[in-house]
Amino acid sequence: MRVALDLLGGDHAPDAVIDGALLAVDRDPTVEVILVGPPDVAAELLAARGATLAVVPASESVAMDEQPVRGVRTKRDATVRTIHRLVREGAADAAVSVGPTGAVLAGAVLTLGRLTSRPAVAVVVPTAGGPVVLLDAGATSEGTPEQLVAFAVLGSAYAEVLGVRQPRVGLLNVGAEPGKGDQLRKAAFALLEQAPVRFVGNVEGHDVPHGGPADVVVTDGFTGNVLLKAVEAASARSDLPRSALLLGVAGVSVVGHGAARADDVAACVLHAAELARQGLLPRLREVLSTREEAS
Amino acid sequence: MTAEQVLDLLRGAVVTVLEVDGASLGRSTRFVEDLRADSLALVEIVEMVEEDLIRTHPGFRIADEDLDRLLTLGDAVDYAVARLR
Repeated sequence: MRVALDLLGGDHAPDAVIDGALLAVDRDPTVEVILVGPPDVAAELLAARGATLAVVPASESVAMDEQPVRGVRTKRDATVRTIHRLVREGAADAAVSVGPTGAVLAGAVLTLGRLTSRPAVAVVVPTAGGPVVLLDAGATSEGTPEQLVAFAVLGSAYAEVLGVRQPRVGLLNVGAEPGKGDQLRKAAFALLEQAPVRFVGNVEGHDVPHGGPADVVVTDGFTGNVLLKAVEAASARSDLPRSALLLGVAGVSVVGHGAARADDVAACVLHAAELARQGLLPRLREVLSTREEAS
Repeated sequence: MTAEQVLDLLRGAVVTVLEVDGASLGRSTRFVEDLRADSLALVEIVEMVEEDLIRTHPGFRIADEDLDRLLTLGDAVDYAVARLR
């Protein structure tokens, strides 16, 4: 599996990225990493480590404090565009970046296109009762009820690809009873009852790390991101995911924390390779099209 | 290229990105207020139209600093037609 990796993304780039790439290929020699960034920077780092990896040139990065869409629009040679272009052209099987999520999303959407109307950041949290897919964990700050329904359909299809049969979909809320929450939650609840998913009603924050009532937990990106970071900070568990999938773009694209260290970058690369190896995209397309036919 | 042809291209891009009914789209349709397009959707639409127009007009590009002024489909059509001359 060939993974295109953004050399310039993240707080500790490029050193943590290149070290993560080398760790990943060491752990799984079937994985080939294509570094995407300035060739002189890559050459120097590789020479210092006595290592060899393929390099595809890209000269620009989108900064954390930059408006992500505008940044990607103006920087045609941005690494977040090039990693996805390689996937689109078939030169890579998956793309990985630990740069700003908004910029990676923009790069993915503008280069690969959308698989469904609304992409989301999806995180799979392992629990005793099986995996819980949380989405959106940060792609869209201000969600609409229709978007939450789109996330429910997408997340449910992803859970099915992960092996969950007839995934139960819950709406993240401040209480389990119907009628709870703000206007967004109330409107989304009504729409989800009519949506082509197995909607089981409201769930609460603790249902994500503990599992139980739902296999898929749907929320807006703002709330999802806050919840995810709180779960990560409060939990001593070492099995929490260090990578997330951009679900809903027409290719495999994995994002990691901006603060990622080499080990985290390696986890993102191996996750992306595994998703590509499992045929995530064709399987998602198949599940989504079967559901469309059935509805 | 005529304004009507550019409007057709633009309408196609809007339908693809925002999944709305093309028949409801006219020159006065507003991207943000009427179509609820966010910044990413707007840039997707722009890049889709650029990709189409670049085939017949190499180098065609909507200047980034002009994007904020294109509030309606009609604004975008007039802008593109003026640049294609």
